[in-house]
Amino acid sequence: MSGKWNMLQSQSFLECNGRQRAFGLLDEGTLTELAGPRDRLSSPHLPVLGEAIQFDDGIVTGVGLIGKKPVFIASQEGRFVGGAVGEVSGAKIVNVVRLAREAFDRMVSARADLPEEKRPAVVISFDTGGVRLHEANAGLLAHSELMDQFQDCKGKVPIVSLIGGRVGCFGGMGFVAAAADVVIMSQNGRLGLTGPEVIEEEMGKDEFDASDRALVYRTTGGKHRYIMGDCNLLVADSIKAFRTALIEVLALPYGRMDGFRRIGSLEKVRYQLKLVDLCVKLAPKDSRDVWKYAGNENPTAVTDMSLETFLSTVRRLQVE
Amino acid sequence: MDKLIGKGRAAIGMVVDPESFREGVIGDLIITDKDFGPGAVIGTAALGNETCTIIAIDAMKTNRKFRVVYAGIIGLEEAYKMALAVYHSIEADKDNGPGEKRPLVLIVDTPGNAPGKLEEIFGMNKATGAYQLALAEARKAGHPIIALVIGRAISGAFLCHGLQADRILALGPKFGTLVHVMPLTSIARITRLDLEWLQELAKENPVFAAGPDFFYRLGGIEELIDRIEDMRGRVIAHIAEVRSIKARGGYEELGPSGRGALGAKRGGRRMRSEVMETMNKEFAAVADRYLI
Repeated sequence: MSGKWNMLQSQSFLECNGRQRAFGLLDEGTLTELAGPRDRLSSPHLPVLGEAIQFDDGIVTGVGLIGKKPVFIASQEGRFVGGAVGEVSGAKIVNVVRLAREAFDRMVSARADLPEEKRPAVVISFDTGGVRLHEANAGLLAHSELMDQFQDCKGKVPIVSLIGGRVGCFGGMGFVAAAADVVIMSQNGRLGLTGPEVIEEEMGKDEFDASDRALVYRTTGGKHRYIMGDCNLLVADSIKAFRTALIEVLALPYGRMDGFRRIGSLEKVRYQLKLVDLCVKLAPKDSRDVWKYAGNENPTAVTDMSLETFLSTVRRLQVE
Repeated sequence: MDKLIGKGRAAIGMVVDPESFREGVIGDLIITDKDFGPGAVIGTAALGNETCTIIAIDAMKTNRKFRVVYAGIIGLEEAYKMALAVYHSIEADKDNGPGEKRPLVLIVDTPGNAPGKLEEIFGMNKATGAYQLALAEARKAGHPIIALVIGRAISGAFLCHGLQADRILALGPKFGTLVHVMPLTSIARITRLDLEWLQELAKENPVFAAGPDFFYRLGGIEELIDRIEDMRGRVIAHIAEVRSIKARGGYEELGPSGRGALGAKRGGRRMRSEVMETMNKEFAAVADRYLI
């Protein structure tokens, strides 16, 4: 057991599956799956369309520990129908967030001076294109429930988004991830709303050439999101690196979370509107124009920089 | 049959008291720049005996600053403008008791969130997320929020503008109302499933078919409206109902979680509750190990 967990730590977050990520992110041997594969709660809708099912419907949900802190985790499996959200996988992620908040309420009612180290947290590892088209309507409704649950967590339970899987985090899950308190990404992680293929399909190749991988990464990838302030921490591509960042963030007092958030208050919206004004003023042709404006003299070099060099030299976008 | 697709501005007049809509003004928010998110129409109106906030889409407007924002598409400015409308509504009523918060009426007719490169560079995901969080906050603060779908309520744009409401009302299919994630033709292409077969299955299966009646069966829409002249009365009636439910603390019966329960009741989403109950039971069995 111990060997397995230790070995996972050095493995690539990108290459791991959703279950390995959940298992390796939490303290060794502490993960209890809720609605795990043994419950065989799978999609009733996929078989109707002649598609294969998975007994966990492509998402691991459960509870574990980091130190003394109960951590409620959801980890999407990008290899199953693109990590897309259906009725069952949607209900699992919604309910794991609810359980975290209810746990907090219970703990506080038992003990008003709940120590920070025991305050429950939510961690979601995204690896998804959003709604699962085979059960699109149910998937869509699950997204709205998730945003509702996120708002309920405010002031109570911190929510941390992790993005480092192959699919990235797009569609409705793109705004769910952004609505968390903290976003942690690797360079391989991609975050956006409308996926590159969809933009190309709807608006044409002039608007976005989805086959240009470099363009895709510099528009949605971890480095770009870090420069824009959309991702708070950029880490190496290993389970251990994500886990270390997670431990650091969860050790902070809850009051510090507001400093990480992008959205969720009038003040934050006003700041984002300044960025929108900048967008109009700058009319960038490419994300590199924004990197340059942020103070990165040689934006082309940014793409190839090692993570260490990037983190120590990059200028992040700030507006007054 | 009159249809209201593209007529968001006219629909405001059909719902609120005559001549009462003041555009661009909510509490101490005053927006005078006509080029700022022009497709998002926000303001204050009288509705029966009270003041309400209106957030609508004017699909006839084009945002000259963003080439992919036209015909009701929600772009960066539009989404943040709508978020401002919500936060200023909350602010304006902050000293009122929970039963005296102004209602918000969302008039929905939008085909999507802006699919553009600029939008992705600056983060369209944040803009739509910001508006949704604002609505959820207002709903939980006691403001009754009623969405009225008069035209298109498509996918992410419906999540953005509509699905965070306490109650969602929609004109029925005969008005050409479009409620879906993707048309069946696109689903067929992306999933590589046969279109004719999908069309056959869709007759009975609300989970992927397009149309307000299917969303109704899933509990995603509370009520379908048959006559345009009934819109105003139904909005007012739902505001009153929502108020009384909130007054007794029944917040869970409203909004997204309320529609989850409605989905089970109408037989459209049966697995959702089974999954949640299983998790609750399993967690209860181990909770002591984690919550000490």
